[in-house]
Amino acid sequence: MRAFAPGIYPRSEALVQATRDLDRGRTSAEAVAEQTRRDVDELVSVQRDAGLSLLSDGLLGWQDIFRPLAEAAVGLDARPLTRFLDTNTFYRAVLVDGRPRLSSPVPAPDLPAGEWVGTLPSPLAFARAANDAVSARALAADVVAPQIQAWTEAGAGLIVLSEPFAAREGEAGELLSALAELPAAAPLALQLPFGDAAALLPALADAPVAAIGVDFYATSLDAVPSGYPKEILAGVLDARSSALESSDEIARFAESLAARAPAGVALTPNGDLQFVPESIAREKLARLGRASTTLAEVA
Amino acid sequence: MSGVRFITREIGSLAKPSWRVKAVAGRPLEESDFSAAEDWGRRLDVSGHEELVEGLRAGSLSKSQVDDWAAIYAIRLLERVGLDAVYDGEQKRTEMYDHVAAFADGFEARGIVRSFDNKYYAKAAVVETPSVAGPQDVKEFEFVRAYTDRVVKVPLTGAYTMEDWSYDEHYGHEGGLGASAEHRYEARRRFVHDVAVNVIRPNVEGLVAAGAAWIQIDEPAATTKPAEVPLVVEGFNEATRGIDAMKSMHICFSDYSALWPAVIELEDCLELQLEFANRDSRELGTKDEDRPGYAETLGLFKEHGYPGVGLGVLDIHSDFVEPAELVRDRILYAAGVLGDPERIQVNPDCGLRTRSWEVVYEKLANMVHGTRLAEEALG
Repeated sequence: MRAFAPGIYPRSEALVQATRDLDRGRTSAEAVAEQTRRDVDELVSVQRDAGLSLLSDGLLGWQDIFRPLAEAAVGLDARPLTRFLDTNTFYRAVLVDGRPRLSSPVPAPDLPAGEWVGTLPSPLAFARAANDAVSARALAADVVAPQIQAWTEAGAGLIVLSEPFAAREGEAGELLSALAELPAAAPLALQLPFGDAAALLPALADAPVAAIGVDFYATSLDAVPSGYPKEILAGVLDARSSALESSDEIARFAESLAARAPAGVALTPNGDLQFVPESIAREKLARLGRASTTLAEVA
Repeated sequence: MSGVRFITREIGSLAKPSWRVKAVAGRPLEESDFSAAEDWGRRLDVSGHEELVEGLRAGSLSKSQVDDWAAIYAIRLLERVGLDAVYDGEQKRTEMYDHVAAFADGFEARGIVRSFDNKYYAKAAVVETPSVAGPQDVKEFEFVRAYTDRVVKVPLTGAYTMEDWSYDEHYGHEGGLGASAEHRYEARRRFVHDVAVNVIRPNVEGLVAAGAAWIQIDEPAATTKPAEVPLVVEGFNEATRGIDAMKSMHICFSDYSALWPAVIELEDCLELQLEFANRDSRELGTKDEDRPGYAETLGLFKEHGYPGVGLGVLDIHSDFVEPAELVRDRILYAAGVLGDPERIQVNPDCGLRTRSWEVVYEKLANMVHGTRLAEEALG
């Protein structure tokens, strides 16, 4: 059973200090970039040691999930601070000042081709972050799709589209319409962090993505229809809790889920791990890997 | 002479001067730090500031003494820009969450998480029922009281925010995977109750006994989970019920539509001090279309008639210095919507800790000037 950790990973204490120093004029952007590289190297090492199937660079330079794409596109800007769901973390809402169009794709991480997982905002989430000043379909076609294309050509093993709003809205029509604008051949997954996915799962069975990510700290196992046709990215690490999960409990849960999801199950956090400190995230990744190993041994 | 007089005030935190940060952290100070202490001491007319500079250069000041100086500087800054109500810029506190979590029993530090951009906060986990041995901020208040003749407003972190910003390894620990929503809500309710009664209330009682006349409960997490706003209200009431002082609540960067009708149950709450400017236009004007950051929320205040509004007129996340005329127009617009200027007082959106003192000085001075312009216009 595959295991990996898409999304924004927490910064190390050293990187936190470096970015604070940068804001206070006490260090240079180059020094922060160097510390970021060290953090990425360390994160890759942690993921390899944990035996994870796909590697992430942790998006350690990203200020929020929307900002890099907003900055890489014409017609978009980012300014007002806006709370991210029911967390104490904020993103800058996207301002639309023209027809959005990706001008220069966000660079792919420097990781082996086919072995890395990238994360992007889903088109619907992007539209919501822009207060629907532009449609999800338009953002899908003109911003997200070319970015997906660029990362696919750069060797992405999987691109996870983070969609935190749809589960709370409970309606999939607009989302499905936007997803239809994305490259059909790209290795895509749609993740629904921090929300009860029960109402959406039936409609998403036909979504043009290979896998659906479900937060099982907000969604019951019974909500997954028996025989579900898509791979499930099972959110089994609670990215908003400092409590450490039991690898054995994760493995048992995954076995139960696998019985309902013949297309496959992969183990993931239920959202960005940036909501816990790095030391805790690191231990959670280790436990995710151990659960995956346990399942492999049982198989 | 205008018949309307608004009370201008800050919300809470100011940035800590570099000399304070380095001295308390035990890091070497540089010439620029000494200059900052000297320049601001002179500019704010801080009595005896030469002693501070000398002490910093000699390394002869204790951390406590440095904290005291930072508080005095902050008080003088807030006085100098003309605010009616002041505190000490929370110079003696780490930050609003850690200040409480580090003092109370029952919390354990877990590390740093991001708030936004390159801003972070320390987060703790509750591991047992929280409690305190005594009131936390009485000495801090008494110090401020001794150094100013202005109205003193004491900011305290609210019980709900303490609950929401903490990891829970005690109340809902057994919840986790598969727990019901009702189970999670009840666990959070017990957590809020215990913080309000065992941690916040002893502090409020101690402060008021020491002479504090105005307690501000900060609840930036108030609408994080809209269904839990009643817990915010419950926490406020349990922490302040029957206390003989002015009481208000500060909330920011939130969905204010979630506050009503629950906030009508706030007992004896003077006002809600809210952030507005962050979501507003920077153009002048007093029409609805000129003030997109204010219209919707002020409509709620008008509709429900309670409580009063502490009108955020400064965007604390930008170095943009709001012209006095923009402040004036924001106040005039609010007065027009509410139809009753008596329900309005004036403040920044939130604490100004992310701005330099230079920017803070200009922003607050313009806020006061703009407020006076609004008073003239209304008079």
